Amino acid sequence: MNHRAESLLVDVILYGVMALILLFFYIPIFTLIAFSFQQGRYLTLPFEGVSLKWYGELFHNTNALNALWNSTIIALIATVVATAIGTLAAIAAVRYMFRGKTLFQALAGAPLAFPQLLLGIVLLLWFSVLGKWFGFNTGLVTAIIGHIVYISPFAMVIVAVQVWNFDPTLEDAARDCGAGNWDVYRYVTIPLLWPGIFSAAIFAFLLSWGNFYITYSLAGSMRTIPTFIFSGIAVGSSPLYPAIATVVFIPGILLVTLAATMRNRRAQRQG
Amino acid sequence: MDQAIDRRWRDPELLFKALPSVVLQTTCFLAPLVMTFILTFQRTRDFQLRWTWDLTVWTDVFSKPHYWTILGHTLFMAIACVVICIVLAFPIAYGLATRFKAIENEIKILITFAFITDATLKTFGWVLFLDKKGAANYLFAHLGFPPDIVAFLFTDWATMLGMVYNLLPFAIFTIYLSIDNIDRSLILAAYDAGASKFRAHWEVTLPLCKPGIWAGSVLIFLLGVGVFLEPKVLGGGKSPMSAELIRQTFETRVNWPLGAALTLVLMVVAVFIVLLFTRMLGMKRAGFGT
Repeated sequence: MNHRAESLLVDVILYGVMALILLFFYIPIFTLIAFSFQQGRYLTLPFEGVSLKWYGELFHNTNALNALWNSTIIALIATVVATAIGTLAAIAAVRYMFRGKTLFQALAGAPLAFPQLLLGIVLLLWFSVLGKWFGFNTGLVTAIIGHIVYISPFAMVIVAVQVWNFDPTLEDAARDCGAGNWDVYRYVTIPLLWPGIFSAAIFAFLLSWGNFYITYSLAGSMRTIPTFIFSGIAVGSSPLYPAIATVVFIPGILLVTLAATMRNRRAQRQG
Repeated sequence: MDQAIDRRWRDPELLFKALPSVVLQTTCFLAPLVMTFILTFQRTRDFQLRWTWDLTVWTDVFSKPHYWTILGHTLFMAIACVVICIVLAFPIAYGLATRFKAIENEIKILITFAFITDATLKTFGWVLFLDKKGAANYLFAHLGFPPDIVAFLFTDWATMLGMVYNLLPFAIFTIYLSIDNIDRSLILAAYDAGASKFRAHWEVTLPLCKPGIWAGSVLIFLLGVGVFLEPKVLGGGKSPMSAELIRQTFETRVNWPLGAALTLVLMVVAVFIVLLFTRMLGMKRAGFGT
């Protein structure tokens, strides 16, 4: 076989596998979107009719709206805090040499390879015991803390890639020109690291927004979108749940597309 | 950029950057782990925790084969999931890194979006698709297949499908990064030396992306032993896996010490297996070298 024939064969196989895998990835997503337009009361085929009825219902359902609100609050706070902690840790882990650096990297990144459900349970035990001693219950605050523990390592890894490509002499140059510490951060460090910080923030938001395991363990009686939907997973439940799912897809699509467009534009400017 | 700056721990610059992570992960990751360990020496009575300091829980864990059967089943599922994910992820990652230049970004966006979407939603989608009266059977019936041809929801096969579905992106990302880092000239050199495309692939590309395959396998294995949603929702809870057993111990039986012990057993066994495989593969590589 000559190279061209081999090349063609490889192309056919690779594109074929790619197409099948993408189909595989999108089967459940499209199924959910389709079922959200079912007019009837039950999630079975064939549809009684196509309608937007359940979307209307969604905006009158206080439980669903509460869950949406909780998800948003948790995701916003967790994103800001986790991105900040992750960014600082990334700078320390990549730029500086110090004793115990490997230990620091391992500690700051450990939750990455820890199953989420177990992390949730271990934290639940911790907060329950502390709660008994100091008199508090699990709820919004413990859920936010759990999300930050889980998401900061992701933020650290994403920003670390950016820090690795960063020329530290730029900071020294700014300092030589008389800039104070704060000015160096404000005008040199943060702008140069911004693409990494921005991707980390988007990733953090989506991880928190869609998180099931940790919220399930730590939110007490409070519901977020994922735990609310978990309570409704059954073929017997109404198309309200697929409708919520479809609404939840929207910020994801927007943010992922936004991040990719920004990266492309930057690549074009540099190239 | 390898111009790392030497810092001492007392340096305020370093403290400012490293301390938040250290404090966070010590108080909310390490300390809870230690607490979990301490809890295993206590007992529960009337749904209340008693501070007793004895080994009741541990003798219970080691005397009941039930727990170990579930653990074995969990490990088997996680390892099978790793193998399937790596085999499926390799052509995708390879194609992304070398072939699909024209549509690379679009594919990346599609995969990232599918990955980042909440697992609960996607699992729910699979239930609706695979159900007896679901979308799959409906479509197949319209294509002329006999009715109810898709009937594996609430079996281990459905659990495996869900696990592969949710964990596959980890393998795609890690393998993609390692292939992307391979120096193209090495492959061109293999061609110059007369290697065919397949030969070059087998002897150059594959060994060079071993770290990526390895990283993906470890991640998927560790996450795979902890799955809960898939066996419960897609597997119908019929053959429980460790995470579900642990969850039940906490929720229904309200036995914290036992749950804590089972959590630790699962983690220790999982980490031990990872170390064992690292050792074995490391020795194998040394054997090839000589």
